[in-house]
Formats: sequence, C-alpha cells, structure tokens
Amino acid sequence: MSDDADHQDGNALAGLLSGVFAADITTVVRRCAFCGDASPLGAHRLYRAAGLVLRCPSCSDVALRAVERDGSVSVTWAGVFEVPTPTASA
Amino acid sequence: MPPLSSERAARRVLWREAVVRDVVVETPRARTLALDVPDWPGHRAGQHLDVRLTAEDGYQAERSYSIASAPELDRVELTIELVDDGEVSPYFVEVVEPGDVFEVRGPVGGHFTWSADSGPEPLLLIAGGSGLVPLMAMVRHRAARASTVPTTLLVSARSPEDLLYADELVDAPALSIARTYTRTQPPGWTGFARRVNHDMLRAVAPAPDSGARVFVCGPTPFVELVTGLLVDLGFPPRTIHAERFGPTGGTS
Repeated sequence: MSDDADHQDGNALAGLLSGVFAADITTVVRRCAFCGDASPLGAHRLYRAAGLVLRCPSCSDVALRAVERDGSVSVTWAGVFEVPTPTASA
Repeated sequence: MPPLSSERAARRVLWREAVVRDVVVETPRARTLALDVPDWPGHRAGQHLDVRLTAEDGYQAERSYSIASAPELDRVELTIELVDDGEVSPYFVEVVEPGDVFEVRGPVGGHFTWSADSGPEPLLLIAGGSGLVPLMAMVRHRAARASTVPTTLLVSARSPEDLLYADELVDAPALSIARTYTRTQPPGWTGFARRVNHDMLRAVAPAPDSGARVFVCGPTPFVELVTGLLVDLGFPPRTIHAERFGPTGGTS
C-alpha cells in the first residue's frame, strides 16, 4: 500500500510483545476488520511513531499500537487475531 | 489475545546475560560476535534477538539483530554492520572485546524462519547488504542438516569489500549462489553489476510456480523493490517472507 522507506515488519515487534502474549506474535494471523485481508503479524508493516504502530499490509489499517513506558507496555489492537491455543510444552 | 499469567510472563521475557567469546572481522564495517548465552533455549534459522546495553549512568538502548549462526552451533553469533551516526552499532563494531557482557532477549520471531524439516520445496533467499545475516543462518542450518532442498541465494552488495562471509559463499550440491555488485566490481568481473531486476531474477530463481519458499531481507527500499519484482514474475505473495531493516540498512 504505502511505499515509504522507513517502515519495518511486524517481525521487529516480537521481542517487546514476547512479554505480553504467550504466542509468538509474528505467526499469529490477523484478519483485518477493514479490508478482510488475513496475514501473519510478521508480514504487517511496522512504523515507529509515538510508540510502535503495526499496519495491515493490504490496506494500512492500524492493527496494533504498542507504547512502552515506565516499565510497562500499553497495547491496543483492532481486528481478529487467531492465536494458537497454548500447549503444555509451550 | 489472552495475556500471560505473570509467572509465565516472567519465564518468557527473559533478559539473559551474554558473554562475548570471540570477535571476528567480516568486512571493514562489520564484525561477528560469538556469544555464550547460559540457558540459551535454541533458535530457528532466521530469528533475531534483542540486545540491551546499559550505560554506567543507567541509560539503556535496545536494538534487534539477526542471528547468523546455525541452530546446531554451540554458540550464538551475531553479525553487526556499522550504521553511520548510529548510537549502538559503533560499540559492537569498533569497541567490543571478548569477555564483554550485555543483555539479550530472544530468540524471537517465528514468521521469518526456515527449517530443514519445513518440506522439500525449493528455497529462494535474496539478501541486500547485511540482510544476508539471517539468510546465512538458513544456509548454515541447511548444510548442518545435510539438506538437499534446492536452494538459491542471491546476494546484492555494493562492492566485494562489503560482502559478508565471502569465503563461505561457494556453490555446493543443490546450492547455487549468485552475487551482484552494485557499485564496485572486482577486476575482470563478468557477473551481475546492477540492482536486482526482473531479468536477474529470471536468470537465477526457481520457477514462480515451483512452490519455492522465498525469504528477502535487507534495507526497506531493497525489500520493497525485490518483493515487487517477485510478485510481478508470478511468485504467490503468501510464499514471500520479508524482513525489512528500515531505511538505513540497519537499526543503528
């Protein structure tokens, strides 16, 4: 969608969000509430703005925002996230 | 997405101390750091880790770096390239010595990974500059497992002096390595001497309908260019995995 040169991929969020979610977020598939596209978060586009903003690779809808401050992470997200059910060995 | 219980979260978000065991000069601007990480849980080829440096005054800086070593190796290797005006990379490229200690968190990221157990589909790896690092982990893992998956590695570097792992980039059975030097070529060079384009991909890549798994890594403009070319040629977007470093080719 956008072709600016400064974004990265959702892969780069994995470390920060490993403290928030049990699943490896880069392989979690998100279905976009706006355009319906289903893509792994690792294939979403990551922008560093006021916090980290993850956008749908298809329509640029904001999928997730994460702001790290004072030892905590505030996360807001939009869309449907298919999270694998944790197993005993996870 | 259910948050973790605090006990489980504490297990996962582990910052571990890493001790630098060895430092290897790769190019004038890049070093490989071999790390001992006690209780390292193992990684998959293509994953990265986060590094945290803490200054004496308590100031902290975090960066993400791709893991260069195969999972089969008994240490974790990072190859770090100097980023102009960077805050962190000069320490790793110009200052760090064996015995130094810093914190790492990881490995993280399961999307940009390949395993010898992933299946028999061909592998197409395309690197821009230090984007070669996580792809080299895949090549090394493939070799360590004696995988016969047909593999093509295309590396774009500005000059021979900038090429990482030059001595290791040799063809092997079912492994084909192509280079393009975009600015400066060695004397007598008859290979590619331009940015990646359609013709180059047609010449080196497996057929778009071969089911190949494709991994592209490098600075964001490079990845944007290459993934666009691949889609033009008919590679299904779902088979293309991308890792963009941002505008500068590194995360400083």
